[in-house]
Formats: sequence, C-alpha cells, structure tokens
Amino acid sequence: MTWWSVVRFLHVLGAALWVGGQLTVSLIVLPLARRLLDGERRATVLREVGRRFGMFTAAVFLPVQLATGVAIAVHKGVTWASLLQPGYGRVLAAKLLLFGAVMLAAGLHGWASGAGRAGTARALAVASLVGSLGIVLLATALPAT
Amino acid sequence: MPPVEVMLGADKERAPARPRASWHLRANAIVVAWLGLTVAAALAQGELPAPRWLVVHLFLLGAVSTAILIWSEHFATALLRTRGPDQRASLTRLGALNAATVAVLAGVTVGPWPVAAAGAAAIVGVACWHAVVLARMVKRALPGRFGHVIGWYLAAAGALATGGTLGGLLAAHTGQGGHGVAHARMYAAHTEVNLFGWVTFTVLGTLFTLWPTVLRTRLSEVTRRCSRAALWPSVAGLAVTVAGLLLGWRWVAVAGLAVYAAGVAVALAPLVETLRRRRPHTGASWTLAASGCWLVVALVADLVIVATRGTDGLESALEPLLPLLLAGFVAQVLLGSLMHLLPAVLGGGPARFKENAALLERGWPYRLAAANLGVALLALPLPEPFGLAGWALVLASGAAFVALAAVALLRPRGRMSPAHAGLVAGCLLTAAAVAVAMSGGDTPARHDVAPGGARTVEVTLSGMRVRPATITAAPGTVLTLRVTNTDAQRHDLRLSTGERTPMLAPGATAALTLAPLAEPVDGWCTVAGHRAAGMTLRITPTSATAAAPTAAPGAAAHSGHTGAGLDLGAPMSPGWKPYDPVLPPAPGGGTHEVEIRVKETEQEVAPGVRRTVWTFGGTLPGPTLRGKVGDVFVVTFVNDGTIGHGIDFHAGALAPDGPMRTIDPGQRLTYRFRADRAGAWLYHCSTMPMSHHIAHGMYGAVVIDPPELKKVDREFVLVQGELYLGRPGDAAQAARIRESRPDGWMFNGTAAGYDHAPVTAKAGERVRVWVVAAGPGTGTAFHVVGVRFDTVYKEGAYLLREDQPGGSQVLDLAPAQGGFVEWVFPEAGHYPFVDHAMPRAEAGAHGIFEVRAP
Repeated sequence: MTWWSVVRFLHVLGAALWVGGQLTVSLIVLPLARRLLDGERRATVLREVGRRFGMFTAAVFLPVQLATGVAIAVHKGVTWASLLQPGYGRVLAAKLLLFGAVMLAAGLHGWASGAGRAGTARALAVASLVGSLGIVLLATALPAT
Repeated sequence: MPPVEVMLGADKERAPARPRASWHLRANAIVVAWLGLTVAAALAQGELPAPRWLVVHLFLLGAVSTAILIWSEHFATALLRTRGPDQRASLTRLGALNAATVAVLAGVTVGPWPVAAAGAAAIVGVACWHAVVLARMVKRALPGRFGHVIGWYLAAAGALATGGTLGGLLAAHTGQGGHGVAHARMYAAHTEVNLFGWVTFTVLGTLFTLWPTVLRTRLSEVTRRCSRAALWPSVAGLAVTVAGLLLGWRWVAVAGLAVYAAGVAVALAPLVETLRRRRPHTGASWTLAASGCWLVVALVADLVIVATRGTDGLESALEPLLPLLLAGFVAQVLLGSLMHLLPAVLGGGPARFKENAALLERGWPYRLAAANLGVALLALPLPEPFGLAGWALVLASGAAFVALAAVALLRPRGRMSPAHAGLVAGCLLTAAAVAVAMSGGDTPARHDVAPGGARTVEVTLSGMRVRPATITAAPGTVLTLRVTNTDAQRHDLRLSTGERTPMLAPGATAALTLAPLAEPVDGWCTVAGHRAAGMTLRITPTSATAAAPTAAPGAAAHSGHTGAGLDLGAPMSPGWKPYDPVLPPAPGGGTHEVEIRVKETEQEVAPGVRRTVWTFGGTLPGPTLRGKVGDVFVVTFVNDGTIGHGIDFHAGALAPDGPMRTIDPGQRLTYRFRADRAGAWLYHCSTMPMSHHIAHGMYGAVVIDPPELKKVDREFVLVQGELYLGRPGDAAQAARIRESRPDGWMFNGTAAGYDHAPVTAKAGERVRVWVVAAGPGTGTAFHVVGVRFDTVYKEGAYLLREDQPGGSQVLDLAPAQGGFVEWVFPEAGHYPFVDHAMPRAEAGAHGIFEVRAP
C-alpha cells in the first residue's frame, strides 16, 4: 500500500463512477422515466440528469482521470515512443484513442441534446457507453503492476 | 410469361410469404459475411496461414457454395411451380455446409488434416442430399416448359460431390506429406470439376431464366431448346475431362474439355440471343454480361493450357487462370445476381424495392469498370505492381458491394433505431481499438522446428525485433527462412554463416536457405544500430541446447566450469599479467598523498576476451590504498578519460557535494579524507549512471587496519566485480547492466584469472584475504574450498576470532561491503577460492591457491 495505490484507486474509482453512471442512467433511469413520467416531466428530468452527469464529467471525472492517468503513465516510465511499440504501449495507445473518441461522443451527445436532436443524442449516448466498456476491456488487457 | 412471376411466383402462391423472405434474408447475410471474410483475408495476406488457398476457399466454398445452395433451391421451387423443400431441412443443409466449410478451412490452415477430410466428406454428403431433394421436387412437379433446367442443378451437385471427394483426398494427401504426380493430377481435377461443374453448371442453369428477367424481356423458345440440348454434352465432356486429368491422359482431357466447351457455347447461345433483343441497362445486367465474357476467356485459356502443358504440370500452369475465373467470372456472377435479387428478397413494398435496388446499384459503372480492369491486369502477364493494382481494384469493387449489401441487409424495417446505431458505432470503435491494441504482438517469440528434412520458417522484421527471435531445429535440418519486412523502415537479415537478404523495403520478402544445421547460427539486421537495439535471431540445433557443458579435466569438482558465453578454460593471451593480489603492509606516516588518474583502456577481462574498461590508475580494480585508523588521505583525482567521472571513498566522511562531483576530461580535484574507522572499504566512480561506470571497472579498495591487527604470513586483497561484454554504451549491454545480468564475474578484474595464474602460499602459513564486493549489482559469498576460516572480520567488526571455538565457511558481502578472513592451509595442494553463489563461481568468480609444502 503506497501513495501509488491511492492514485490507481482514484483512477479506477473514476472509471467505475463514469461507466456505472452511464449504465444506471441507460438501463434503470431511462426505462423508468419512459414508463412513469409523462412527456413534459420526462423531458425535464432527463435533461437535468444529463446536465448533472455532464457537469460531473467535466468537473470531477475528466480532471481526476487525466491527472491520475498521466501520473501512472509517468510512474510506469511510459514515453511517447513506447506508445507505438506492440504490447503494453500499443494497448495503452489504443485505450487513449478510444477514450478520446468516447469523450468526443459524450461531448457531441451534450450538444445534440441541447440542440433538440433526440435521435442523434441517443445514438451518441449508446456509442459512448459501449466505447466506455471497450476502454474497461482494454484496461484489463494492460499487464498489472 | 412475365419474367418477374417466374422469380417470385412461388412466393406469392405460398402463404404467408414473409417467412420465406426473412429466411432468404438471413441466409444471404451468410453469403455477405463470407464475402466480407474473403475481402478481409485478401487484405491480411501476410498474416494468415496458407493465404492464397484460404482466400480462394473462403470465397468459393464459403460465399459461392452457400449462395448456390440457397438460390438453386429457390429457383427450382419457382421453375417447377411446386412446393419448396422442407424449410427446416434446408436450414440443416445450409448449417451442415457452413460447419463443414469451417472444418475444411480450419483443418487445412491449422490442422490436423483429418478435420479437413471430415469437412470435405460432410460437403459431399450435403451435395448428395441437395441432389436428392432437387430430384424429388422434379418428380413431384407437373411437367413444365423449364423443368429440365433442374438437370443443370443436379449435374452441379454431382460435380461438387466429385470435387469435394477430390478435395478431401488432397487434404489427406497433403496432411501426410504427399506431393508429386498424383497430387498434381488430383489438384487439376479438383479445380476443374468444382469451377466448371459445381459453379458453372449452376450459373448456366440459373442464367437461362434469370438473364431474361434481369433484362426485363421474355423467355424465348431458343432458350428452352438450347438449355435442354447443352446439358448432356457439357456433363459428359466434364466427366471425360476429370477422368483424363486423373489418369494423366492429356488428349482425353483435352477432348473432354472441347466437348464441354461446345456444350457451354450452346448454352450461352440463347443468352447472347436475348442480349441482341434487349441491350443491358442495369448494373446487374452489365455485371452478369461481363462475367459471361470472362467465363469464355477462361475456358479457352484452360483448353490451351491443358493441351500444351499436359496433365502433370497443371498445378502451377492453372494458377494464372484462378483470378480470372474467381474474380472475373464467379465473383461477378454472384455480385450481379445479388444486385438483382436482393431487393426482391428484402421486400417491403414497391418503394422499399426501388430504394434497395437504387442502393445496390449505386456507382455500378465505376465498380464494374474497376473490377474488370482489375481482372484484366491480373490476367495479363504484367510485372508485380500491376498485379497488386489489379487485386486492389477487384477487392475495392468487392468491398464496395459488401458494404452496400450490408447496409441494405441491416436496415430491414425502415431506418435503424438510434440505440442500434449507437450500439454499432460503439462496437466498431471498440473493435478498432482492440485491433490496434492487439496488433504487432501476436507472432510467437520462439519457434520450434520439428526434426525433419527441410522446413520453412516465416520470419518477420519489425519494431526493432526479429520474430521469432529463436528458432530451434534438429541438427541437419535444412531451414528456409522467409523473411518479410513488416516495418515502416528498411531492414535486412544477415546470418553468421554468411547468407544475407538484400535490404528489404517495407512489405518486401526474401528467402534464405541455410546449409544443413550443425552449429548455432546468429542473425541480425545490418542497418546501423538495429542489432544493438535488439534485431537479432538465434537458430540453435536441438542437441546443442540439451547437451551438458563438458567438465574440464581436474580432480576437484570445483575446477570444471564454464561461464555463459565465456570460455574460461581457454588460455589467457600471451603477455597477460594478473593483478597482483598481494597486499603490502600499511606504509608509515599519518598522511598518504596519492594521485589517481582515470584511464579508459583495453584489458583482458576473461581468457581471450579483451574489452574497453574504465579504470582508476590503469588497473582493474584501481590501486588498493592502505592505512591505519586516523590516517589522512589526500587524493589528487585527475580525469584523463573522454567523459565525465568522479570518485567516492566510502572510507571517509564528508559532504559529497564538492569532492564527489563529476569532473570533465582534463580536470582534476583534491579529495581529502580522514580514515578514522577501520574496515575494508570500497571506492568507486560517483558519476551517473553509477551502475554503468562501476560495471566498466571504476572501483577499488581502501583497507584501514583495525587497531592491533596481528601480523600474518601472507596478506591478499580480492575485489570482486561484474563483467559485461560489449562496447560501452551498446544498448544490449546497457539493458543487461540495468537488469543486473552480467556475462561473468571477476576477482581483481579477470574472470577465472587466478585459475590461470594461481595465488601461491605454503602449507602451515596463516593467510589473510581482504575481500571487497564492488558489484554493481551483486555481492559475494566468499569461500575457500578445503579450509575453514578461524577469523572473520566484516564491516568493521569481528564476527569470529581465532581463539573462539567456532569456525566459518563463507564471508557474505552485499554490494560495496568488505571484510577479511583468516585461516591456515593444512597441507600442500590446490585450494579453489570461489563466490559460493555457484552460478557466479562458474561464470568467473573463481581462482586457485597453489599451496606448496613448507
């Protein structure tokens, strides 16, 4: 148990909250809202849920993930060149690319919701969720240290 | 009879029509999936086993055979205006065919061959079952104008049964190492009967009715008569051809092919006649027309090849025909038919039909032009880049259709729901990321070659590695290395036996055939720096790795030893002098002035092995300084080297900032310390990376006598250090230093040096040996074979004194620790002294006391 355990803990916790939050909203909140709430209130509730989740992402999740992720990479001695090498480096590079794509999808989801493009927003939300699961998959493929 | 009714009449008659459409839809998804796999396999050529065979069979056995099974039953049902075969049985046949295909593909590419043979047997079974079902339908049906067309399908099924049997025999034959004439004949017969029988008969049988439908015109009487007249000559001709090929009777095979060609010409006549009545106007019709042209070209070429080359050399002679038949004829028939049929199958009303038809025909002139230009490039004997361009055009055209068809199939009811679109997008993103993550690391790092005559090993060069990095083969094996540069920069491979590839551009391949393997062979990339970065290969005969090192002659078990990569038994070079281990008593006086100059020099560090060392004062280890407690040492430290160095005396106590600083070449500093504590101390270079500087020899000992140190007969000093071969700064050496994997260990700067120049003493003499472990990574367990220590002094304190009853066997020192041991030799003889961590002793930390009688 060192301070690096704490850093890793924060990184894993952030990922769990972000993926878990998306899953909760998609699998529990959304179906219930569709069944229990009428159109007007449903729209309000879902918009608020989305706004809160977006704020959490921007204010907590992204800073924590980026800071701890960079710290872990530096601690492990990851360099730009090593990202291209097969094995650990390339898995990490793929994970970073997927993370970038998921963040892009999440951001576009926020924009689409605001612009009233419900279909696009829904597609982007699902893509972001599936991509997040892909990130977790790639994280498990990184050899543990 | 309106053409569309021929196609879809059966669907309308049977209610409900929906399940039929949806089952066709799903079945055709299999065809599209096999097509996608074909394109993928063609693109991944270098990475797959048996790449060419795999692409051909993914396409013909996967996509084409599945399509034939589905559509021939469908057309038979439509033409005979009868009840279709039991749907569950149809699905079973389809499932069996696909399972058998997977078995064949797996069995041939990764083995074992019985899996492939069993798959082939299952395919033959499916073909027979298919034929029986069709025959029953013909019997059941009322006589009609086009009932006889089913005969073509029956002939096709018979051809597949024959071709499948031959394929199974080929797989078994190859699996048991068979080659030669029988193999070549079976191969030729297998190819001809499958392509000109199973595929061509089905295509012709279908085109009789499909072609007028595609052209939106009526079926003529000529078509009916010709389709009836052409069947028997075609079938008989092909049968004779196959028999002739198998028996090796060239002219029988040629005659059979001629009859077959005549039959096909008769069959094609009504198609041409229809064409003259109605010009093609859709993508589907043009694609089908182009495919017919390629069939004629391929058939003529085949006839010429068999007539000129005979039956035994066909395996290679037919090679150039394959792209022509596969891409020109078969692929275009399949694509053309699917372009026409898929919209009808997808259903969904006139609007949807139009929409899907438009989607599938999108950009057809370009696709048609690309595909046929590609086939032409492949068919003509042009240099390599044109062939590649040909494949690129054909594959791009195929991939475009697969993509369009996939879109049409994936949106069965209106638009895709947003959630599904998101799901697909997310999965695609993840799959792409996983593909990136997994790329490059899949080649095994070690490749074992089974004993045998000749073997070919695929070797790839990329990412500063040669993969596999080690190859093991039975002695006598003739190895052929197929070396492919999969990197983005140029590499080559040179072997220690002299063979070398040319400098390979990215993607280029070259083959090296070695002499029968006897000795280990090393390989490396000759581009500057690449070998150092790790681009090395080692080929080892199996017995060399298994054989135990031969023990050197000698009475004691301790005297036989071999270091990793060092031949410690070899003689030292003439002129080599050992570092004098004798330690003179401390000079008088309270102040010692010493000058130590850094010298980067070359020295024999193991028998016959010279390497660059960095030293204090030109010796390895540096000069041993000796004094009494309280003495002052004034050391003038001069850097005569080529890089920065520093010095750190453990025997003194002071702030490191000044005296231990790194000085540049040509500079000097004065290091003054008072040795007010006794011990065997290390001094070493203080410049980072210290592991590197110490590993290159920058260490020595300071001996400060404890008060009242007794006088002994002989006193020696031994500084143990690690030996790293290679040039300073070479990456492989740096890696070994970092990972603390020395090539050997040395007492006083030479591995096994005192084996060759024993240290002398006399029986009954009291001997004291001062030991310092310099490292950088390992300490020592100093032991003298045949004696017990009665005095042990370690790190400033006595652990054992002469007058105590106990004894000691080992002085254990961590890196940078020091001490001394004393004992009396009981009698004359040879007493090895070792680091009792035996791997280190066997890699050089070994010497001998030669004890004479007093």
